[in-house]
Amino acid sequence: MSSVARVSRAFEMGLREYARTPVLLALLLFLPAYFIGIFVFVLPTSELPIIVPGDGQQMVATAELYGVLLVPLLAGLIGGIAGLFLMQTASDADSRLVLAGYRPAQVITARFGLLVLASIVATAVALAVLSIEYVPTSVPIFVAASVLSGLIYGLVGVLVGLVLGRLAGVYTMLFVPMLDVFFLQNPTVDEKLWVATFLPGHAVTELAVDSGFSESVALDPFVQALAALAVIGTLATAAFYRATRVR
Amino acid sequence: MTESGRAGRVRVGVDAAVRSFLREPVQVAVLLVLPLIVIEGYGYAMTAFPELPFMTESAETMGRLNGAIYAVAFLTGVLGLFQIISAQLADERLQLCGYSRGELFVTRLATVVAASVLVAAVSLAVLAWNVTVEAPLLAFGALAAAALVYGLIGMLVGAILPRALEGSLVLVFLVDADDFLSSGMVDIDTAAVELFPLYHPHNLFQSAVDGSLAGGRALATGAYLMVLLSVVGVVYVRLTGNGGVFGE
Repeated sequence: MSSVARVSRAFEMGLREYARTPVLLALLLFLPAYFIGIFVFVLPTSELPIIVPGDGQQMVATAELYGVLLVPLLAGLIGGIAGLFLMQTASDADSRLVLAGYRPAQVITARFGLLVLASIVATAVALAVLSIEYVPTSVPIFVAASVLSGLIYGLVGVLVGLVLGRLAGVYTMLFVPMLDVFFLQNPTVDEKLWVATFLPGHAVTELAVDSGFSESVALDPFVQALAALAVIGTLATAAFYRATRVR
Repeated sequence: MTESGRAGRVRVGVDAAVRSFLREPVQVAVLLVLPLIVIEGYGYAMTAFPELPFMTESAETMGRLNGAIYAVAFLTGVLGLFQIISAQLADERLQLCGYSRGELFVTRLATVVAASVLVAAVSLAVLAWNVTVEAPLLAFGALAAAALVYGLIGMLVGAILPRALEGSLVLVFLVDADDFLSSGMVDIDTAAVELFPLYHPHNLFQSAVDGSLAGGRALATGAYLMVLLSVVGVVYVRLTGNGGVFGE
């Protein structure tokens, strides 16, 4: 079997596994809708001053600001939890695939494909609900920022899954994206804390806020996000390789 | 069976649950260390926030208060969920050995209550390091109530959706949305926010810290807990031992 065929088969099997659990699919559709819907419904329309990277200071409605922040956040939350559980199951199921002749790189590519899909679905649902109240100014870049957030946090989840158990891993993946995207990267802050620059959500949140409220999107954060993805991706691949290797 | 016999069985059940938890030292470390990281992390993250007119405390203090509530809620929520999931098979076996569903529920509930008290105590101790708490006993009660509310919600999610990935996703979204909207970081004027599980415990906790002592919040928190306890009790007792299907 060719390498591409093997990757597609493993990807397809992963998809079938998800399809066998309709509750999970329903949750992937319902939870983003609930999350965005409840915030947009409850938050006030009063305006707040924020810093938009490509456009300086702007006044935006509170509901719109947090709506825009929520999409990369929830892509990060879903990606992170998916990555964590991917790692937890990797040592069992994926080791068997490697034993059956798959190369670890092929298994990793197929699993990475699942993370991409989870991030795209989360972003699509979230953006659909957000667009009832507010449509980001540059939709394609906003979508790219949110999917990147899901991927980056998905890979962080893979790394967390290697170090921590299931319970401690869920705690971590519940807390870190929230603290990172909502608090440390919040654009209502004039001068961000130094630690914010080094967190996984920095570049993607900047890109999401920029594309959410400005037409002149700076491309620096995009490059930074891709660099962050490459670094975390390399670490996660090494971790996944280690978990699936045949002993 | 006599009352002392029942109490003995519940004690054995709680003992087994606690032992199974203590067998993994990382979990114990997480329970003790995470409140410190969350409370100080939130406080630090909020130092850069502007002081907005509707904020009742400095942004940094609000961050710490919010962190304390968040830490207790998500620690016990996820603990409640995983306890129910991991106990599913054990519960069915215990039922075969003669445990009633009510006894099983009391056993799991007692473990969640114990975890709530422990996490609330740790969180209050961490908070008191940097924030003056005017009414420490009430603050402890509010934190324990917030922990118990989410411990019960975790049990409920675990009983209805006994799968780790799905249950975790539900809890992640519930806690994150609830915590942020109840935090006082944004000026919300919709009454619907009062229905969120953390709204009353959060306000009660804040009043205990600043000394304004909102008695009405204590009543609302107690009522919320009672209703939740009844719902979780009914759902748990109906679902346990039936392979997740409502039964006798």
